[in-house]
Amino acid sequence: MFQNLDIFRIAMKMAQHSGAQQAASAQNIANADTPGYRAQEVMGFVEMMQQDGGPDQMRATRPGHMMGQTPDEIPVSERRESTDPNGNTVSLETEMLTAVDAKRAHDESLAIYRSNLNILRTSLGRS
Amino acid sequence: MSDFSNALAMSASGLRAQATRLRLTSENIANTDTPGYHRKTVPFETETDPRTGIATVSTGRVHLDRSDLEQIHDPSSPLADENGNFDGSNVDIIIEIADAREAQRSYEANLKMFDQARQMSASLLDLLRR
Repeated sequence: MFQNLDIFRIAMKMAQHSGAQQAASAQNIANADTPGYRAQEVMGFVEMMQQDGGPDQMRATRPGHMMGQTPDEIPVSERRESTDPNGNTVSLETEMLTAVDAKRAHDESLAIYRSNLNILRTSLGRS
Repeated sequence: MSDFSNALAMSASGLRAQATRLRLTSENIANTDTPGYHRKTVPFETETDPRTGIATVSTGRVHLDRSDLEQIHDPSSPLADENGNFDGSNVDIIIEIADAREAQRSYEANLKMFDQARQMSASLLDLLRR
């Protein structure tokens, strides 16, 4: 029955991802009025899972393996969007949307985690 | 967890920077009618922590706006020169109010982010409870 524990791993990854997304939004909003600041964006969760989840992909088994690229690292890139006259690319509206997305994804992943924890507890007879 | 504490630190730096800006704006507005007053401005700078890689915002040194002061014609003023003019301030109240509005908007956005990061970490810790 422990093959099922994959779901905990994925829920944890999702929580980690939404945490990173939240941090990126917080950083962008904090720098929303800094001249020349470029908005940061984390890679989407689905995209990220497709990239490192496939069976034909190389996997790092420990930190330091594969040129120090840890498997937990979430790729961050610059967002391509319209630039303000002062060179800043942050749009508060986009950041609000991203942050709400992050919050929802985080709640969802915790709900999945909790519900599976309950199933596991029930199956152990300790509900 | 460290993502959340980073998010809190970054939002807090944003709040601090916007509050400084708002303080200078109100200083300018308070001194609109002070003769010879130059408006103060403060630049925002990104500060990247080399250890954690997080980019917080900080305010640089306060600058004085060196543009020309408004000439006020009032021969009865004790400050007036031979033509009856004296230097007012170079504060444009419309600009200051617009700046204050923008600072408030950014402050609220930062506050919202702070609150959300706090909520997310609280709900994460809630998992430990039964």
